[in-house]
Amino acid sequence: MSRGRAWALRLAGIAIFVLVWEIVGRIFGDALFAPFSAVVVGFPATVRDYKLFTELAGSFQQLLFGYLLGCAAGIVLGIMMGRSALLDGLLQPWVSMMFVTSIASLVPLFIITFGFGLAFRVAIVFMAAVWYVLLVTYHGTRSVSPELLQTARAFESSRMQTFFKVLLPALYPYILAGMRIGLAHAIRAMVIAEMYVIVGFGGVVYNAGVEISTVSLIGALLTIMVVGVVLTELLKWFGRRTAPWYEERQQLPN
Amino acid sequence: MRASLNRPLVLYPISIVLGLCLWEAIARTLPKALFAPPSAVLGRLAAMTADGSLPTALFGAVQHMLVGYLLAVLVAIPVGIVVGRNVAVATAVEPILNALYAIPPVALVPFFVIWFGLYFEARVALVFAMCFFEILINVLQGVRNINRGLLDAARSLDVTGLALYRKVVIPAASPFIFTGLRVGIGRAVNAMITAELFFSAVNLGQMLKNSSNAFDTASAFAVILVVSLFGLACQEGMRLTERLVIPWHHGSEA
Repeated sequence: MSRGRAWALRLAGIAIFVLVWEIVGRIFGDALFAPFSAVVVGFPATVRDYKLFTELAGSFQQLLFGYLLGCAAGIVLGIMMGRSALLDGLLQPWVSMMFVTSIASLVPLFIITFGFGLAFRVAIVFMAAVWYVLLVTYHGTRSVSPELLQTARAFESSRMQTFFKVLLPALYPYILAGMRIGLAHAIRAMVIAEMYVIVGFGGVVYNAGVEISTVSLIGALLTIMVVGVVLTELLKWFGRRTAPWYEERQQLPN
Repeated sequence: MRASLNRPLVLYPISIVLGLCLWEAIARTLPKALFAPPSAVLGRLAAMTADGSLPTALFGAVQHMLVGYLLAVLVAIPVGIVVGRNVAVATAVEPILNALYAIPPVALVPFFVIWFGLYFEARVALVFAMCFFEILINVLQGVRNINRGLLDAARSLDVTGLALYRKVVIPAASPFIFTGLRVGIGRAVNAMITAELFFSAVNLGQMLKNSSNAFDTASAFAVILVVSLFGLACQEGMRLTERLVIPWHHGSEA
């Protein structure tokens, strides 16, 4: 299929989706499912009434803390577990356990431990991001071919050189893929934490949700959707841009 | 899990014991209301199991989880197969799927309250929403990745219509379908507890909320532990089923 035809199909898909949404919305009305046009017309009021962008910016600042901490910890632990069978064996059971643990179930407990403020939200976002970054980095580290490292050793590169010039570049695509998945989970976790204690962007969703009309609620959902898609695409673009050897890695942990 | 065979399995029990000791040591230095030690958690776990409250709550929780998961499977698999077989349709719906997937599922809670109320139906809806896309995306990928040679061979042997799906498409895509089922059931368990916390608090969610409100972190940990172990058990059960149903696809998972 040509690029032009693919884009035409995608645009047609979006157009049909919006059209169906508009028709369904008109049948059900604003109270149950506001149509596309009502959401667009009502959007400036949503932004104004709920300070949507201010709240979103505040939430993402806090998210960034937890997310970057999670990425750093995940990358370091992932590489260590990938390179050392001992650490792998010692940490694996706990990592597997943490990986399946529901973020929502941690929320009530973390409120006791960390309170309602910054520390709580950072801790929740950290817990959501770290295990995904760790597992993808770990799988990446294990898939680096031994020949690559042996070649480096044959050329008498030091441990530091091998790490920075061979291992890290080989891992780079995996780390970026892990960071991309981690980001999606970080955003989900942020909304979970904020909706539970009704602050920030999650608070906007909660408050818009108890209104009679769904116009503001759908406006808020569309906003977080666009932010999520744009950030994900930015990370993809950044990967392709900064590393010519970057390619999509499909083998992600499930 | 090929990798686990290479790992010294002795390390896993050591890891669990060491981790519990570390947790115990840290918890002893903190107030019990903030961070309960594992000894207290195991004690609560035993007590809550003995008086029947925990099994009853888990049984209640499993109901909406199973209904939501089965509905998601029943819709996602046929839709994924039909859409995946048609390149034009798959191209057209891809951006919409990506966009919808970027909406944090918990942000849909206000919607589900409007449409389904606060009880069983709403919980089923959240479980459905949280695992539907994971299953659909995997099924789609599986169908789209079917080797063209396989389909050409089938056509030359006059295998068409339903027989083509039953004999070629579904078996060829089944590794991906099973990945979707496995990831999906993990998400369903996750959604199970999320729903109980974000709609009217019942079953495990209610236990978690009550124990947190009473600063009983031992009970809160016990509930989290049960949910995580249940999630782990469901995923491993699905892995086992996969091995029984499609033994030819052994160990080529990511």
